[in-house]
Amino acid sequence: MAAADSPSAALRRRDLCSRGIRLAGKMRADVVDLLDAYVEQQGLDASASVAAVEGVPLAAVERWDEQTGTQRLLENLAAYRAFRALLAQMLEEQREQLGEAEAGLGRALAAVLLQVSAFAYHLEELLRLESRGIPGEEEEEEEEDGPPPPPRLSLFEQKLRGLGVLRELAQWAVRSVRDLRQLAKPSPATGAAESP
Amino acid sequence: MFSRWNWVACGFYLVLNICSPDASGGLVQSCGHIIPESPVLALGSNFTALCILNESCLDFGNIYASQIIWKIKNRLVPKEQYREINRTVSSVTFNDTSSLATPLTCNILADGQIEQNIYGITVTVGLAPEKPKNLSCIVHQVSRFTYVMTCTWNPGRHTFLDTQFRLRYSWPEEIFPDCIPKDVNNSCTIADIQFFVNTEIWVEATNALGKAESDPLVVDPIDIVKPLSPQNVSVSSGVLPTVLKLCWENWISDAVMTLKFNIRYRIVGDTNWMEVPSEDTASPRTSFSVQGLRPYTEYVFSIRCMKEDGVGYWSDWSEEKTGITTEDQPSKGPPLWRIIDTSHSPAYWTVHLIWKALKPFEANGVILQYEVTVRDKSSLSSPVKKYNVTSTNHTLQLREGTYEVTLIARNSVGASPPSVLLIPASNSKAPVKNLRTLPKHDKLWVGWTAPNSYVLKYVIEWCLVSSTSDCIIEWQIALGDVQGIDLKGIKPFKCYLITVYPLYADGQGSGQSVKAYLKQDRPSKGPTVQTKKVGKAEAVLTWNHLTVEEQNGFIRNYTILYKTIDGNETVVTVDPSKTEYTLSSLTSDTLYTVRMMASTDNGSRTGPDFTFTTQKFGKGEIEAIVVPVCLAFLLIVLLGVLFCFNKRDLIKKHIWPIVPDPSKSNIAQWSPQVPAKHNFNSKDQMYPEGSFTDVSVVEIEADDKKSFSEQDLKPFDLLKKEKSTSEGHSSGIGGSSCMSSPRQSVSDSDEGETTQNTSSTVQYSTVVLNGYRDQTPVQVFSRSESTQPLLDSEERSEDHAGGADSTAQRQQYFRQNGGQDETNTDRPCFERTKQITHANEGDFVGFVQLQISGQSSQPLGLGMEKNTQEAAVSNVLQTCTEGQTVRPETVEENPLSVDEMPKSYLPQTVRQGGYMPQ
Repeated sequence: MAAADSPSAALRRRDLCSRGIRLAGKMRADVVDLLDAYVEQQGLDASASVAAVEGVPLAAVERWDEQTGTQRLLENLAAYRAFRALLAQMLEEQREQLGEAEAGLGRALAAVLLQVSAFAYHLEELLRLESRGIPGEEEEEEEEDGPPPPPRLSLFEQKLRGLGVLRELAQWAVRSVRDLRQLAKPSPATGAAESP
Repeated sequence: MFSRWNWVACGFYLVLNICSPDASGGLVQSCGHIIPESPVLALGSNFTALCILNESCLDFGNIYASQIIWKIKNRLVPKEQYREINRTVSSVTFNDTSSLATPLTCNILADGQIEQNIYGITVTVGLAPEKPKNLSCIVHQVSRFTYVMTCTWNPGRHTFLDTQFRLRYSWPEEIFPDCIPKDVNNSCTIADIQFFVNTEIWVEATNALGKAESDPLVVDPIDIVKPLSPQNVSVSSGVLPTVLKLCWENWISDAVMTLKFNIRYRIVGDTNWMEVPSEDTASPRTSFSVQGLRPYTEYVFSIRCMKEDGVGYWSDWSEEKTGITTEDQPSKGPPLWRIIDTSHSPAYWTVHLIWKALKPFEANGVILQYEVTVRDKSSLSSPVKKYNVTSTNHTLQLREGTYEVTLIARNSVGASPPSVLLIPASNSKAPVKNLRTLPKHDKLWVGWTAPNSYVLKYVIEWCLVSSTSDCIIEWQIALGDVQGIDLKGIKPFKCYLITVYPLYADGQGSGQSVKAYLKQDRPSKGPTVQTKKVGKAEAVLTWNHLTVEEQNGFIRNYTILYKTIDGNETVVTVDPSKTEYTLSSLTSDTLYTVRMMASTDNGSRTGPDFTFTTQKFGKGEIEAIVVPVCLAFLLIVLLGVLFCFNKRDLIKKHIWPIVPDPSKSNIAQWSPQVPAKHNFNSKDQMYPEGSFTDVSVVEIEADDKKSFSEQDLKPFDLLKKEKSTSEGHSSGIGGSSCMSSPRQSVSDSDEGETTQNTSSTVQYSTVVLNGYRDQTPVQVFSRSESTQPLLDSEERSEDHAGGADSTAQRQQYFRQNGGQDETNTDRPCFERTKQITHANEGDFVGFVQLQISGQSSQPLGLGMEKNTQEAAVSNVLQTCTEGQTVRPETVEENPLSVDEMPKSYLPQTVRQGGYMPQ
């Protein structure tokens, strides 16, 4: 916390929070737009029910207000790392399925992917300012490179999973805004939560 | 150039032939090469090249490094720059690469002077790239969801080499593809920009001599956005006449950034924009109600936006949209004034009510009509008269009195507040004081000092003063609390008459006037001066005032400039109110040139020259000279007349001597045997024309008698003796002045007889002179036997034609007779023709007829009395004889017979014969 106490660290933290909030808001807006385009493009029903995406922590959480800042940052970082991988996979599948014909959807996906990456970077920076170690991405690497490869999904399942990813991302974007706003508040809650 | 390369090619061919004996069977092998191969060199650096010969060529052609020569573009490199490293290697060094050129060749002087090329390289000289500077980026919103970032930088100096610029940007964990400029080297545009992440941006410049990077620019692209301006702007009027509502669409989502706005507006036709306060539009919105607008006014609106926090760039202004506010009732009554015409009848006024149309911001709509109400304040019982007028003037016929006129303007919404004007019986209130003007750029400020009483308002009238047209009044109303206004529309160089009336609650003050110019200039022409009167030392000059159009300003003074031809100019300044001036102390009889200059505050203008000449004499000088001279002349004349009058007898005697009247001569009574009738009526008969040719004239000079010799006088002595013995004597007729001396007169009156008796006894005698003076004369005195009166014929002629005519005839006759010498007419003695027989002159017989006239002005005859003429007859003869010149011309050859001679004793001149003594 020593770094956080310095004025420059406080400014940096506040700047990161502010920028992260706006990035999350922009990301949500873009994801919402992308959802509409995706549903239409993939021929899905917007009201289709999708099971929870594997590997993505749920945005909804109980006792959200009781979470510490670090906890929030760690959950967010885990979620967005998962989204980054999923979106990259979606983008790859998209290019395989539609080729370059549907460049607009691919660009939108790429843009969202960039935003997810950027948001993950924001979270990492905030965690650094919190003097907390940044968890590695071994799990993801294990998932990608580990012996048990993911089961090969059908095309429809891919589409549904993509829909699920985007929906969850939209919800996470909303939650992230709230988390960062909470972090941005100079409340003693953060310190109280960290003290134990 | 071609030949040079041809030569080089031949050289290479020769080398190949020399150094490649087995070339026909394989690749071409050179005899050497240069290190480095085609280098790129920094400008200004040093450079060393090595030429290395192949060993195989050494043995074959006896070629060594000492024979190597270096050339730059066929120009020999000085050998001082060579260095033979060993038997096969030669180097050349250049301290400054700027002296290098392409190609650099290594050559051999084989067999003495045969130059053969071994190898050549291309040298490229340039500069390493400079560090790009001044990198800046801006994100343009291209569409609703598309943003591009354009970065620009200063590429630095020209490198002379192919230099690549790359715009690079990255996130901490993400590196994006480079942006490579196309066709330019100082800007690049990146698409698909992501916001809310700090992005590091830099420029990398690379060429063969190196690489340079700009300082990185770390920026969140959202902070350098220039958004698209609001779209679909619309303007709508609301219920309130002072409000317009502005609506628009933002093309950037709130998720990207929230916006603030800037709204500007202006009245149509006006160029000045007004802005809505920025704090009113600092929050995200899509509409705004602009308040405080004028009713019934068309406005133009425009809007722009930028990121709410003010970081970034303003968008462009949106397209302009117009809207018009609704009408409202007029905000004030029209300015009202009047012109009262009392010329027809003092008791009845013709009142011209005039008012100004309300300005648009006062009318607040379309004025449909004006309502004029006139109330007679002097008579409460008089009804109020109302008039509805659509124009801006109205004429009333009113009886003299006090009236209150009310004017209301009405539009579709309502009526204006009333304008009230009191028309008083007289303008007896206090006027304004200290009325003055001051030009202010293109306006004329009129100021005054308020009277002591409270003034409701002031009316300012002004008009352009013109000499050719009437003053057209313009007017303006000022509130009572102001003491000066600006008059607009005032033309420069024109004279304006400005009048200010104060209006009180109970009447009107008298007007105060002032003339003013907005801007003055020098007069457009100068005065034309002329003289009214010119004297000896003074001249009265007159001129006319310039017209107000010619003045161009207030004439401050006139200046008279006058001079003589060769003199200095004299300047006189004259008051501008005068039109006449007297120049004094002028030189008399001198030509003066005078001109006149009119001056305003801004300059002068001179009129035409006028010349005049002063008089030689002053007034009365001529009279003073002429009158005395005339008087003196008159006096002299008078004295002369008086003198002549006193001496008239003497003068008369000299000028008009008394001529004896032959008609009164006693000779007429002298001969008693005068035939009653004798054929002597006409001399023409007696002397037919042409027959009287030979006449001798005897001139007798009385004064010469003294010079006569005694010899000359002898015959006269004889004559005396003869006379004394004869009964008669020679005639004294014509005893004129020639015989003034009684002593010298030879008269027949020696016997003491009276003159009368003498005349009766005088006989003609013929004097025949045969000589003259020194000649020996034969003196023959022939006494005439005739007793006929000498002047009988004359008397007869007088009887017929009067004495004067007769005399004239005689004179004519003698003039003919003495035509050879007309001077004898003035002679004192008149010759009398006599028949003279000139014996000695064989061919000539002359008859000399002497006639002595008493009319001669000969001095000798002066004072000779009539009664003494007869007494002097003999002297006449004597005197005339003394001086006579006898020229006998009668032809002797044909003498007339006695029988043929007329029986007359009148002296005759006959061509043949003549008078013969009997």
